[in-house]
Amino acid sequence: MSAALELEDLAVFYGKRRALEGVSLAVGRGEIVTLLGANGSGKSTTLRAISGLVRPARGRIVYEGRDITRAPADAIVAAGITHVPEGREVFPEFTVLENLLVGGHTVARRDVAGRLEAAFRLFPVLRERRLQLGGTLSGGEQQMLAIGRALMARPRLLLLDEPSLGLAPMLARGYVLETGRVVVAGPSAALTEDPRVRTAYLGFAKAAAAR
Amino acid sequence: MSTAALVHVVVSGLATGSIYALMAISLVIVYNATRTLNFAQGEMLMVSTFVGWTAHQWLRLPLPLIMLVAVVAAALLGWLIERAVIRHSIAATHFDVLIITLGLSLVLRAAAVLAWTHDEFPFPSFFADRPIALGPVRVAPVSLGIIGGSLLLMLALYGLFRGTRLGRAMRAVAQNQRAARLMGISVERVYSASWILAAVVGGIAGVLIAPVIFLSSKMGLVAINGFTAAVLGGFGSMPGAVVGGMLLGVIENLAPLYLPSGIKHSVPFLLMIAILLVRPSGVLGRARRRKV
Repeated sequence: MSAALELEDLAVFYGKRRALEGVSLAVGRGEIVTLLGANGSGKSTTLRAISGLVRPARGRIVYEGRDITRAPADAIVAAGITHVPEGREVFPEFTVLENLLVGGHTVARRDVAGRLEAAFRLFPVLRERRLQLGGTLSGGEQQMLAIGRALMARPRLLLLDEPSLGLAPMLARGYVLETGRVVVAGPSAALTEDPRVRTAYLGFAKAAAAR
Repeated sequence: MSTAALVHVVVSGLATGSIYALMAISLVIVYNATRTLNFAQGEMLMVSTFVGWTAHQWLRLPLPLIMLVAVVAAALLGWLIERAVIRHSIAATHFDVLIITLGLSLVLRAAAVLAWTHDEFPFPSFFADRPIALGPVRVAPVSLGIIGGSLLLMLALYGLFRGTRLGRAMRAVAQNQRAARLMGISVERVYSASWILAAVVGGIAGVLIAPVIFLSSKMGLVAINGFTAAVLGGFGSMPGAVVGGMLLGVIENLAPLYLPSGIKHSVPFLLMIAILLVRPSGVLGRARRRKV
């Protein structure tokens, strides 16, 4: 499979603190890939680097054959990558409708109505709440709004930071990050068998200790 | 005092209040985009009004064209200042940028004194000098003109913020810049648009008020009351800026009727202190949580 997105040896610093040191990974067309790792291991930073929110100090990000390492965030959205950030970051003073419309900022005017309809069909509760302010929604509704908003641009690559929706069964492949490095990579079936993943993320160590 | 006289005072208060409101709106537009208090807003208004007046002196342009020249000059100045100065200091602290805009205001005023001296000049007005009588009430046409012109401009701004992509992008940036970037909004373009828009609003306010307060290198001081108005209404809120401006204009005009006459210019600050004691976030302001 040819990769839609490729990260080569990506390094990111926050001031002097090293957040990523040489991360390489690939996402194929139509593939669902997960990043695993403890807090501070670099999951969010990896996504932020892809969507142009942080500038890598080293390495390359190639999307559909194009180097987007230094492209501004708005150009990356226009290129077809959208990012649902951790904490959702719904616009609290916008209505649900306005939140969705602003998600379609890069969309041609004639396509907006259709995209809006698609978002409402996917999350009917958003249609009911379309005139309610984003800040007054429940956590789950905000998650739906954040995803619906990101889908307005009809991305070819969707980055979800800590989604609370059940996407896990569809996972194909994964990477495990530890302090800014990829330590395990492989198909999801192999990942769940890996002892390091089992102890760190699936609670097997606790179970073993209890026994 | 007769009702008619009272109405007259209130109407001229609303006229000054409209100008304060426009200044407050300019300050809020800039603040919402770049989180900068633009202390040079008044001086930008002064310079663009002078440019319009100079075009009038040289070319004998009719008034609508003077307005156009002033607006274009204001837009260029706003664009230039954001691009050349503010964009580069965006990572600096609020305090640093505040000093930068304060410095800009001094530079602009000094440049204006060099170009146009310290003198005051009469400025042509759209409106007749003779008061018009509405029944027993006499009002100055210029007051009605300022109020009407300002309301039209506010309506246009409302349409821009509610009904256009640019306006929505500006409101998104005001709430959360990072999320705005993730929507594909060019935050830099919003910075630029905001400074231009604020300058244009100021430029129009300048041409409206210049016939009343005269054109001079000191006329930028009107922005101080715009700042007070913005704080009164709740800094960051557009409707608050309008309410704050109108409130300030009317109270400032009424106060000398009931209080010693020398107090007029202290009224804005007394009012500001009083309101902030009762409602720290302003009349229409909400307590904003700051993101760390």
